[in-house]
Amino acid sequence: MTRRQAVVGAAPVLIGLAPLANAALADSSPTADGMPGMDGVMAEHHAASLHASMMGDAVPAPDGPDLVLTPPAGYQPGPVRTYDVVAKEQEIEVAKGVFFPAWAYGLADGPATVPGPTIRVTEGQTLRVNFTNASRHPHTIHFHGIHPADMDGVFEIVEPGGRFVYEFPARPAGMHLYHCHATPLKKHIEKGLYGALIIDPKRPRPPAQEMVMVMNGFDTNGDAENEFYTVNGRAFYYARHPIRVRRDQTVRIYLANLTEFDLMNSFHLHGEFFRYYPTGTTDQFEYTDTVMLGQGQRGIVEIDFHNTGHFMFHAHVSEFTELGWMGFFDVVDR
Amino acid sequence: MTDVGHQADLRWRLWAVVPVIALIGVVFGTLASGNSIVGLVGHAPPPADEFSVRKVEFSPGEIRIHVTNPQREDLTLAQVTIDDAIVPFTADGESGSTTLERLRSTTVHVPFPWVENDPVKVGLISSSGIVTTHDVPAAVETEQPSLGGAAGLAVIGVLVGVLPVALGLAWLPSLRRAPPHWLAAFMALTAGLLTFLMFDALSEALELQAALPGALGGTGLVLLGVALSYLGLTFVALRLSGREGGRVKPLTGVGLATLVAIGIGLHNLGEGLAVGSSLALGELALGTFLIVGFMVHNVTEGLGIAAPMAEDGARTGPGRLVALALIAGAPAVLGAWIGGFLTNDLLAVLFFAIAAGAALQVVVEVGRFVVRRAPGGLTSGYALGGYLTGIVAMYATGLLVA
Repeated sequence: MTRRQAVVGAAPVLIGLAPLANAALADSSPTADGMPGMDGVMAEHHAASLHASMMGDAVPAPDGPDLVLTPPAGYQPGPVRTYDVVAKEQEIEVAKGVFFPAWAYGLADGPATVPGPTIRVTEGQTLRVNFTNASRHPHTIHFHGIHPADMDGVFEIVEPGGRFVYEFPARPAGMHLYHCHATPLKKHIEKGLYGALIIDPKRPRPPAQEMVMVMNGFDTNGDAENEFYTVNGRAFYYARHPIRVRRDQTVRIYLANLTEFDLMNSFHLHGEFFRYYPTGTTDQFEYTDTVMLGQGQRGIVEIDFHNTGHFMFHAHVSEFTELGWMGFFDVVDR
Repeated sequence: MTDVGHQADLRWRLWAVVPVIALIGVVFGTLASGNSIVGLVGHAPPPADEFSVRKVEFSPGEIRIHVTNPQREDLTLAQVTIDDAIVPFTADGESGSTTLERLRSTTVHVPFPWVENDPVKVGLISSSGIVTTHDVPAAVETEQPSLGGAAGLAVIGVLVGVLPVALGLAWLPSLRRAPPHWLAAFMALTAGLLTFLMFDALSEALELQAALPGALGGTGLVLLGVALSYLGLTFVALRLSGREGGRVKPLTGVGLATLVAIGIGLHNLGEGLAVGSSLALGELALGTFLIVGFMVHNVTEGLGIAAPMAEDGARTGPGRLVALALIAGAPAVLGAWIGGFLTNDLLAVLFFAIAAGAALQVVVEVGRFVVRRAPGGLTSGYALGGYLTGIVAMYATGLLVA
């Protein structure tokens, strides 16, 4: 396979705000040339295969439903915003051909996924989550944020078949998360019981191409180490299916780290800088191309791309990158 | 025999088939029940889903992994890692399927710019996420069978096998002039050497079989090798010794020396294998050291062949001595070729088991000889001292190889 074919083969991905799925890709300008370790004689010999390994069809990544996690719409009128969330046991494909018996949250009318469904509410509104435990283990939902002690998902364990209603005013505005807090805690998190909680400020953020990225890992052989690292649950998915975005509109990523076993994870963008708002709670940002997050840390990334083409993003932990946490933006003009 | 008796006889012979038919019926019945019988006492655990890595080969820009499914259930290879990084790969076979049935093998091709002499960790991840890792101590380009390579391995085989045995045989004239009890001591020493070699080969065989997939029945294979070679050599010993008045003559002189040479030769086959495969696997330093070690080690083996001939008064021609040196030493060349080009653990287990069985048989034969011929028999101080000296000599020179 030639380099050109590899680029053409990169299946276009449709994201909600940029419906450009079938645009021709063959003329894509600067692709991700000059990747690490690709010079010298070996590279001459095998550049094609190595390059293909980084992007497009040759990437050993799962196919499957579109994985660009577009968050639910922002402000919805009314005093209460309600979600029906179910915890289930669900086998998921975490890397091409590798199936993991996950414990996962899903909406009542949808599949259970890792990360779970994004819950979005506007500050001051009441968030109501009707939780059903449809698995064989006791679970809870513990939300990050400000709420009463009896809504914390720590003491009120929901037994298999049980239900619980979490209800509290949503605050503070920012990018938050939720996860199971039943014991053993480590187990319930590494199995996949977590998701993003977005609390919009009363004055909405400016329009943007929005998506959620939850960084995580999967311990598939039970050795308390991750065999795969992903963003949103499928290793190398965005390398095989680059995320198509428009250059003329800000890209906003709600970013969270829920990686178990490893102390930290990180997000690094190639060829561009972004504004990073830690926890999304203030207007303070850092202008950078790399952020480091411990487990439970999260924030909002805003990118205004200067150039078009394929731009890699990945954990700036090389090990994680090569075990699945790597992808591309395909920035286009329209 | 009466006609009735004959019929009864036939009937009971036919009856012998009944248990076999009944067994077949019971086996099928049990298989048809699926897991319902096991289910009465608990759940069967999930399959281990671990692969067996038989061999890892390196060529410019490519790593090839020879992999087998050692378990009863099908096993699917989903991902391959090199040094903890996921890499794309292709598999041999029709449609390149990566699902292996029981004991089926495939070769996985990974395009990879490996670095010469670096250690390489290969990981094979099953569809259930179980990781099988295999460490290669140093990546070196896998030797493809070539005339040059074969010649090099032959030289090494000669250095390890033929040359030291020939040197040891040069003790023959000195041994000829030794008094009978000293000669008995040297014979016992031969037995000591071979006892050591037997233990050495047996432990090697058992160690290698432990690394084989359980389904290949490693210990059974070792026993098979030992039994085959022991019985085979017993047959050879009978042929060499001839008969005297309807009775088997005890083996002496050149006949016994030949048997000892065969036993040592089979052992050297295993040693050649060890040297050849350590070179093939990139343990080059170890290879050179092994060569020196085996050279010193094997001089004592020549002594073991010389001792029974010294006891025989008759002169031994140089042609016969060369033949004995070749019988004992040349298999090292064959072993080096096999080890250098095949690197097959299954074969290695079988070879070492054969070496162990052969050594055991020769120890028995030499022991018989000492009982009959030595002044004072087995329990004389010379015999006991010689035996122990043989073991100590092998142990001491063996430290060079360890």
